[in-house]
Amino acid sequence: MKKVNEKEIELATEEGLGSMEREIFPILKFDHVTKAFKGDAAALADLDFEIQAGEFVTLVGHSGAGKSTLLKLIYAEETATEGEVYFNGEPLSQIKKRKLPYHRRKIGMVFQDFKLLPKKTVFENVAYALEACGVHTDEIMEDVPQILDIVGLGDKLQKFPHQLSGGEQQKVVLARALIHKPLMIVADEPTGNLDPQSSAEIIDLLLKVNNLGTTIVLASHDRDIVDRAARRVIVLEKGKIICDDAKSKYRIC
Amino acid sequence: MFLVLGRTIKESGINFWRNGWLSIASVSVLTLSLYVVGAMMVMMMVSGTVLTNVEKRINVSVYFKPDVSENTIMAAKADLESYSEVKSAQYISKEQALADFKKNNAGEPVILQSLDEIGGNPLLASLVVRANDSSQYQNITEYIAKASFKDDVSRVNYVKNKEIIDRLNNIIKQSRKVGVSLALVFAAVAVLIIFNTIRITLYIHKPEIEVMRLVGASNMFIRLPFLFEGVIYGIVSSLVATLFLLISMKLADSYVSVAVLSKSLLSFYFSQALFILGIQLLAGIFLGVFSSWIAMRKYLKI
Repeated sequence: MKKVNEKEIELATEEGLGSMEREIFPILKFDHVTKAFKGDAAALADLDFEIQAGEFVTLVGHSGAGKSTLLKLIYAEETATEGEVYFNGEPLSQIKKRKLPYHRRKIGMVFQDFKLLPKKTVFENVAYALEACGVHTDEIMEDVPQILDIVGLGDKLQKFPHQLSGGEQQKVVLARALIHKPLMIVADEPTGNLDPQSSAEIIDLLLKVNNLGTTIVLASHDRDIVDRAARRVIVLEKGKIICDDAKSKYRIC
Repeated sequence: MFLVLGRTIKESGINFWRNGWLSIASVSVLTLSLYVVGAMMVMMMVSGTVLTNVEKRINVSVYFKPDVSENTIMAAKADLESYSEVKSAQYISKEQALADFKKNNAGEPVILQSLDEIGGNPLLASLVVRANDSSQYQNITEYIAKASFKDDVSRVNYVKNKEIIDRLNNIIKQSRKVGVSLALVFAAVAVLIIFNTIRITLYIHKPEIEVMRLVGASNMFIRLPFLFEGVIYGIVSSLVATLFLLISMKLADSYVSVAVLSKSLLSFYFSQALFILGIQLLAGIFLGVFSSWIAMRKYLKI
């Protein structure tokens, strides 16, 4: 968060005191990125695009088009074969393994299969993310109920994941992703396992989070979802961007 | 920092407890190897004490011919004492020797009677030579055999003792070898079993580890619980091994002669207990941590 503040201040002074609106700068930049796995054709070929801070970007494509690989490059689970990914101005290939956790704390991740711990309650699942980063217990006791309130689970703190519906579980995941106050939320098919009603709720939550200033990168192949978001759409096919539309409905160009 | 440490220890304690049988297997093999280490240390200390006790009683007695004057003997004494390997040379006159002999055989009237019948003093004056180190007696006897006063010497008694010392030294060396190899074998087995236990623990905790990575837990936070599990194995095992050591020494106590050791085995152990326990703890913790470290290097992808 500190880095953003510095940058915002910098920009603010450059443009004078008049501009109090949210500043635009690229939080994510793919600089001619190619990702190839051993023996296969390139999973991603020469991707070159920017995402501005505060944007809501939907990533569309058939399965195998390279959506997940692209997301993995963002949270540095994979590294680019060629080119460079910049997050918040920082080249990801330069991050040492030891420092990787600090990069991940700036990104909240949401997955299709939730990845909640079944033996921990809703509260504990979210608190765990803070415990793992050495946050004080007082702070955890204060922050966790607050964030669960925001996603609408304020009354289910002591429930276990299996006692919740799929939609509710995904809200817990969203709460866990938000607890670090991340710069960006990366969501990989977050509605893949959900009914349309819950899916819509999750997307609305993501839009709400985006309105509060967090950048969202959402991968999905669900037409309704993309239409509901109705923001910038990047279409991937066979590892290439075939369409990058600032404000669109779901379509294969 | 303490916060992380506390959470880590709690986590590894839970792992240890929930793994039940796996933990028991790890702990029992590690216990066995630490028990051997402890028993070996006690044995080495005991044998060391016995050896020094025996060595204290070893000396070379140089007996002089009856007609050699006291002055010549005193010169020989000075000569021997100047030899660097010699710790002391004590002069025992004929009269002294007779008095000692009478005292030693006070309860044997036949011997005393026969002594009277011989008349005069049949015993020889002697020098009792002690060496700094038991292995030097050989050199000392050789030195005496070539010394300037060699013609005045009646006899040198050393050979008897030499055999005993050599045999004792040999036994100690052999049993030390056996002990070391036993301990090494058990340690290797313990490492393999702990390695496997941690591997399974890692497998059980795969989803948790994945989540930890995703929420940005530092690498150390992910690793520490598994390292601490190794530490717990080490601590529990060395405590159990100490318990077994105490029991077996209690049982062995009656077989070890108090005379050679000058005190009972248990009290001997207690005088060294902290040292032995310390070594066991160190070895146990090292083995535990070492095994979980290699398990993590192999199976934990961070």
